[in-house]
Amino acid sequence: MDGVCPLALLAAGTEAKVADVRAGKGMQARLFGMGFCPDARVKVQCADRGSIIVSVGDARYALSKGIAMKIIVGCAKGAA
Amino acid sequence: MKREIRIALTGNPNVGKTTLFNALTGSRQHVGNWPGVTVEKKTGKASRNGFEFEVVDLPGTYSLTAYTADEVVARDFILEERPDIVVQVVDATNLERNLYLTTQLAELGVPVVIALNMADMAEAQGNPIDYRKLSAFLEIPVVRTVGTRGEGLKDLLDAAIREAETSLHHEHTIGYGNETETMIASLADALSADGDLAGRYPLRWLAVKLLEGDENVLAKVRGGPASTRVEEILSRIDPDEYEALMADKRYEAIAAVLPQVRKANLKEMRPSDMVDRVVTDRYLGIPIFLALMWGAFELTFTVATPFMTAIDAAFAWLAGFVAGSIEPAWLASLIGDGIIGGVGSVLIFLPNIFILFLILAILEDSGYLARAAFIMDRPLYALGLPGKSFVPMLIGFGCNVPAIMATRSIEGEKDRLLTILVNPFMSCSARLPVYILFAGVFFPDQAGSVVFFLYVLGIVVAIASAKLFRSTILPGEASPFVMEMPPYRIPTAMTALLHMWSRGSMYIRKAGTIILAGVLVVWLLASFPFGVEYGSAESFAGMIGHALEPLVAPLGFDWKVAVALIFGFIAKEIVVGSLGTLYGTGEETLPTALLADPGLSAATALALMVFVLLYTPCVAALGVIRKETGSWKWTGFSVAYGLVVAWLLAFVVGRVAGLFMGGV
Repeated sequence: MDGVCPLALLAAGTEAKVADVRAGKGMQARLFGMGFCPDARVKVQCADRGSIIVSVGDARYALSKGIAMKIIVGCAKGAA
Repeated sequence: MKREIRIALTGNPNVGKTTLFNALTGSRQHVGNWPGVTVEKKTGKASRNGFEFEVVDLPGTYSLTAYTADEVVARDFILEERPDIVVQVVDATNLERNLYLTTQLAELGVPVVIALNMADMAEAQGNPIDYRKLSAFLEIPVVRTVGTRGEGLKDLLDAAIREAETSLHHEHTIGYGNETETMIASLADALSADGDLAGRYPLRWLAVKLLEGDENVLAKVRGGPASTRVEEILSRIDPDEYEALMADKRYEAIAAVLPQVRKANLKEMRPSDMVDRVVTDRYLGIPIFLALMWGAFELTFTVATPFMTAIDAAFAWLAGFVAGSIEPAWLASLIGDGIIGGVGSVLIFLPNIFILFLILAILEDSGYLARAAFIMDRPLYALGLPGKSFVPMLIGFGCNVPAIMATRSIEGEKDRLLTILVNPFMSCSARLPVYILFAGVFFPDQAGSVVFFLYVLGIVVAIASAKLFRSTILPGEASPFVMEMPPYRIPTAMTALLHMWSRGSMYIRKAGTIILAGVLVVWLLASFPFGVEYGSAESFAGMIGHALEPLVAPLGFDWKVAVALIFGFIAKEIVVGSLGTLYGTGEETLPTALLADPGLSAATALALMVFVLLYTPCVAALGVIRKETGSWKWTGFSVAYGLVVAWLLAFVVGRVAGLFMGGV
């Protein structure tokens, strides 16, 4: 993994591995519970100016840019 | 031997807890294919083999660290009420994430039984789960269930009985690695000084929660005998770091089990994902949503018309029969004007109401509702409203009462209050009869579009009000959008019709109770004092109406409308019912009577519809606003704001329409 960037910047179809989650208290626990935890593999299904639908395991989540910016992923091409 | 067992159903959102609850207890609680349908705990009864079960259905949650109001309900029940058995309902098609909550429940040491739900879907996807092996690995009983078909219910209750009968329960722990374990040990040691707390919760669990920075557990410790030492230990660490580390370890533990119980078989692209690409498209998303909505109201109108005509004819015949054959005259008036004119004019809209609820059921069951919220997030967020608010807003199309309750899943108190305050502008089913009546009479060719316009106006006013509140009384930024997108499902005819029936039949019940009572009061007011001509200016109704007329005269409304609006405060269908009573239908129907009234023009009708859309929510909605905000001040504000907005917009719409159509 040679670089990290926010999940919000990934294009549709990109896969990546979560590196860090930097949300506030409460939201952080929620995101972990949803599966956004370090090392989790994610795949962006739809992306529109930072708002994304992303798959984590078998679940699909819609995230607005505000949250997607707080999930940091490894963004190297072969990251996943 | 214990014969009564209390079971709590918990689990992630949208895994089928309520479906299972309904199947177990024979209840008819509302279910839907979107996360957050259940926001309150619901209780039901079941029995098996001589055991009585009290089953409690809880709102869904992703973890035991609660964040929103509905999650607090779930967490508090499990922590404080201590049910005998916690049944975690697990979505078999999403095992990994669901087991994360399992690890937390296991740490808490409560007796857990897993209901491996939607097992049929996992199997159909070619991803069956070896639930026996899963049970062996977790050391927790796992039962295969299919809530929608009632499969596995007996096994589930049997497993609950077995667990309740064995006293052997130990906490299942996850090893978090040396460094973390040292911290946990020192925290647990410090906590042991608090005998009261240690008696209620496992020390290790408390320590883990403190390391995660759980505010709720910290509040329990504060002020107790362990407080000083615990805070001293916590002050030396960064809880964020530990929280991430422990989450990671939990998923690691789950990842070790998963390959043993199922074949890894993740489909890369599902049909759902392809649909999402289209319906959430940057340019297509909102037009698709609006087109669907327009189609829905067109349908509500056109499909219902023949049924309405039939019901209308039946009531007209009945009214004619009553007028011609019942003596004395006052009784004929009571039955004809009061009951048939009032309740009948409301019941005519039954077909529309049923179709509306059918459409809402399809919206909720298909999974599209969550997408609609997502599409609307960007425009709403820009105006200060969280996108998640759109879910309660759309639920408001059915009834604002459950819609206002549904705001419990919204993050942030201000966001929630804002969503509650704007919700009454979403046009509920009780307002539909008013539109259909007036649109049908005055805009016979564009009725569907007029109704659509009113619904859109409701959304626009709600959003504009949110913007206004954001920049004045509730400043701040909307919380960002996070919502699970459930897989699309084609609603089965059976469930959709059941939904339609359970909500539509409430309309009939309402017509027979509160609406009947309302129109009878109106009839009495229109008939007395003794000796006045029915519904004349000298009757009580006439006096009330004339007293209020100056207030609504600028809108073009006469005293009859004023009376109807006053009574519509009880329930908005009564607006139609009261008009039916006051116009004393006799042999002609209410639409004919309205059309014949020289005081009513198309422009006035439009103004009236706008007024009914926006003015004061009904008593039931106010009750729930009071309950959910906990404040009379906000409740009063909601009433006053609604009245002002309704008056202003009705005035403007009436005048503008008058310019184009003539005559206000």
